[in-house]
Amino acid sequence: MFDYKRFALGRIASFGTRYMPFADVASEAVPLSRLLRLALFQVTVGMALVLMVGTLNRVMIVELRVPASLVAVMLALPLVFAPFRALIGFRSDTFRSALGLRRLPYIWKGTMLQFGGFAIMPFALLVLSGYGEAVDAPRWIGLSAAALSFLLVGAGVHMVQTVGLALATDLVAEADQPRVVGLMYVMLLVGMIVSAFAYGALLETYTPGRLIQVIQGSAVLTVAINGIAMWKQEARNRSRATAPVQEFSFLDSWARLAGRTGMIRLLAVIGLGTAGFGMADVLLEPFGGQVLAMTVAQTTRLTVVLALGSLLGFGLASRWLGRGGRAMDAVCLGAVIGIPAFGLVLASALILSAPLLVAATLLAGFGAGLFGHGTLTATMRAAPREQIGLSLGAWGAVQATAAGLAIATGGVIRDLVLAAPAGGTTAASPYVPVFALEGGLLFLAVLVALPLRRGGLATAFGPARAGAADDTGTDCGLAAPGP
Amino acid sequence: MSNDPDKVWPTGLNLREAEEVHSYLIDGTRVFGVIALIAHLLVAVTTPWLG
Repeated sequence: MFDYKRFALGRIASFGTRYMPFADVASEAVPLSRLLRLALFQVTVGMALVLMVGTLNRVMIVELRVPASLVAVMLALPLVFAPFRALIGFRSDTFRSALGLRRLPYIWKGTMLQFGGFAIMPFALLVLSGYGEAVDAPRWIGLSAAALSFLLVGAGVHMVQTVGLALATDLVAEADQPRVVGLMYVMLLVGMIVSAFAYGALLETYTPGRLIQVIQGSAVLTVAINGIAMWKQEARNRSRATAPVQEFSFLDSWARLAGRTGMIRLLAVIGLGTAGFGMADVLLEPFGGQVLAMTVAQTTRLTVVLALGSLLGFGLASRWLGRGGRAMDAVCLGAVIGIPAFGLVLASALILSAPLLVAATLLAGFGAGLFGHGTLTATMRAAPREQIGLSLGAWGAVQATAAGLAIATGGVIRDLVLAAPAGGTTAASPYVPVFALEGGLLFLAVLVALPLRRGGLATAFGPARAGAADDTGTDCGLAAPGP
Repeated sequence: MSNDPDKVWPTGLNLREAEEVHSYLIDGTRVFGVIALIAHLLVAVTTPWLG
């Protein structure tokens, strides 16, 4: 009699784990191609950011005629989830899984949330704008559906990015982390640039049908790209799966992380610096247009120059830190470069020189690149292996909140000065306080960061943590009993 | 073949692992179901079908 059971088992055994979504072993050296593939999740994050903040921002206001203030509130909704990034990171650190996975489930869940948000978003926006029969529908349906879709996408983005970065950190040796950070930032930029052009081309002739196609197409693309990104990336860890349950509350874990020398200070630097650099993101283009009378094509090029500067910054930081540089040096240098950059922006308004503004933008981008890379690398190096998720969650929470608040504050300050009776004396006057504030924030960031650079503390964020005094007691992290 | 009572034939997973894989399937189906329901409701509001 044909032993079908033996036959099937033989086939399955020869199948191996070739078609399984997890890696065979946690190999020591992860090839660059695999890291590149993992970094694809940043492409979908960039895609979601551009779609929401860039494309839909315009489509909702211009084509769908939704009030601008309502659009601003909707786009700000995902920020509500930013502080929860620390919690998500902590949960992925301590996730109990019989399969021995801890990052993949969260990336998958985040991807599903992102997909779900994009799947209902076009219809929610159409209802919100009163398209078709929706004119007669009660207002709350459109409002709550749109809010839900933005919340879902936002939560998904936060989840995917936090846990994806943690997985990337898990995968590589500490010496290679700067390379990974650079890769992640570059992929985020690439995703944003490519999708900005793609959305622009696809929505050139707007129809409601096209809007549905584009957003739902993004949903499918998100699942596909994230699926490719996480395939076979995380190895199953049997010891983790069978380890006895240890209950650690989030607060315990947080207290442990925050108790590490320089951690809170590092987070403060991240918040101040990100706010300083972030405020310019949305104001550089209107500044160029209104003050220096640049055309739309020229101001768009300004954004490209900013991205180019950031790329240079990431590249330099990757090489520098990869060769053993200290992360806090890059952070300080980035912030220090940013201060004169914003000074030059103001100077360009005084002498009405567009080339000077372009140079200042390049410099600001370069500083932001160095600063961003430095802070993320420092965060990775500052945390023990067991708390990488929590640490990167804290980085993301501070960074996303600071950037969001900065963009909002920058806009509010500009509008307030414009509205003030003496405000609109020159075209530049609404922007002067904003750029001055940015310089001030960066100055503060440098002040807070300097003690981290000086003395023995800096070794905590250097490549080799062996000599750091604070490592000996706490490196066992979660393995040690709670306080 | 596999006489380990804890192993679920023919996957080679043990019971806890199999249940976890199953939980992802169930959760995914639920989430996609709810999303599809909401999407259909919203489409029905803009362009009603079934009168």
